[in-house]
Amino acid sequence: MPPSDLLPADTVTKLYRDHHGWLSIWLRKKLGNSFDAADLAHDTFVRLMSGRRKDGVGAEPRALLTHIAKGLVVDHWRRRALEDAYLAAVAHLPAPEVPSPEMRALILETLHVIDATLRTLPAKTREIFLLSQFDGMAYADIAQTQRVSLATVKRHMQKALTACLIAYQVHAA
Amino acid sequence: MSAVIDPAILEEAAGWLVRFQSETLSAADRAAFDRWLARSAAHGAAWQRVEDMLRGFGQVPPAIGRDTLRRLDRPGRRQAIRALGALLVLGPAAWAGWRTLPWREWAADVRTATGEQRHLELADGTRLVLNTASAVDILYTPEQRVLWLRAGEILLTTGRDPSPVHRPFIVRTSQGTIRALGTRFMVRDESASIRVAVFDGSVEIQPRDAGAAAVVVPAGQQTVFNAHEVEPLATAEAASASWEQGMLAVRNWRLADLVDELARYRRGVLRCDPAVAGLRVSGAFPLADTDGSLRLLEKTLPVRISRVTPFWVTVAPRAAVTN
Repeated sequence: MPPSDLLPADTVTKLYRDHHGWLSIWLRKKLGNSFDAADLAHDTFVRLMSGRRKDGVGAEPRALLTHIAKGLVVDHWRRRALEDAYLAAVAHLPAPEVPSPEMRALILETLHVIDATLRTLPAKTREIFLLSQFDGMAYADIAQTQRVSLATVKRHMQKALTACLIAYQVHAA
Repeated sequence: MSAVIDPAILEEAAGWLVRFQSETLSAADRAAFDRWLARSAAHGAAWQRVEDMLRGFGQVPPAIGRDTLRRLDRPGRRQAIRALGALLVLGPAAWAGWRTLPWREWAADVRTATGEQRHLELADGTRLVLNTASAVDILYTPEQRVLWLRAGEILLTTGRDPSPVHRPFIVRTSQGTIRALGTRFMVRDESASIRVAVFDGSVEIQPRDAGAAAVVVPAGQQTVFNAHEVEPLATAEAASASWEQGMLAVRNWRLADLVDELARYRRGVLRCDPAVAGLRVSGAFPLADTDGSLRLLEKTLPVRISRVTPFWVTVAPRAAVTN
């Protein structure tokens, strides 16, 4: 990324000084606790600094910061929901089958990327992706149960896997 | 931080993955895939991302992944949930999604790509190290702890099981089972046979055939077995687990054997010219950098490394190069 696309350091410092206070309060109201609010306020500025802002932050930095923070809040709740769903899913497993904390973090990370990616795809594509990657059905079997052609299954899989690969890219970067 | 890859190339990579998952590719298709892979660094990186992604998917136990995603109840997800409901009715279909892939190590729960090694700690504290191009299914039940070695090589240090009931620790292989008796040992799939080396404690080998006698291998010993019999025990070289530290330590090996061993850690073809196959080698070779290991050979032996392509390398006599 050419450095010229990034916001200059003094701009960021000024933004931080002017806006960190209200943003933290706004986030605390949204999230209900100041720990998460502090984290997300920090993440908002990190996102602001690392993003491409050819045209600067515009005349109304509040709007941009709120926009970024809203996205992070949504992401935060989704991760929370995912964690809750995960805990419920493993609650009935015997202790040795519950993944270690280390594995758990890896699993949640993967599921988060999959969840975020699936949300952007049509219902049919999501369905076929889940059948293939999480239930282990062969393409031909999916075609049969979903009453579509094999070529259609392949087209949906191509779309879903491309989206996942791009999501992994964003995620890894 | 990974480099940004052109989405168009990622789309092509996804296309190849779809083909691998949906059909058996001909030799010509595989050659076309190799050409695609070699087209640029970005193509190689795109495929690496495919493998990383599949490894990520593979780390999610299917039942947990399915259950978690199903529980994420919200509008807009009803379609998917209905699909998942249908799955539950279909019953516990085998976790066979990866079986459609041409490489059987992808059918496993944990796997490593060529040149990769992984260290894992399992639920009971057992430490599992996977060497290059290896695959293991892990199945812990209330009755037993089972590792199914699908391909490659693993080093195990069994942990103290937290379960109140004693559960045997068993490694299943294509040729038979190995029962751990509190131990640190290595198992390597050599296709037609299985090599076992024991460093601590002992293991009991039971070849697959009914009627074949079980053999106990004590610490410091190693052996090779197939479905019918266990070979006489030999002294285990302590250095045989040196790969765990990322080095291959050898003493007085034939060059051909060393080259075969290094080939396990790299993609493509690495072969040794018969004219130099019998040269003797000792030393320690870095596994993460097999090109460096080959350069080391070039410095210490009368050989030269001939590269037809990065995927086709020959260790040849220094004077004349043949391929």
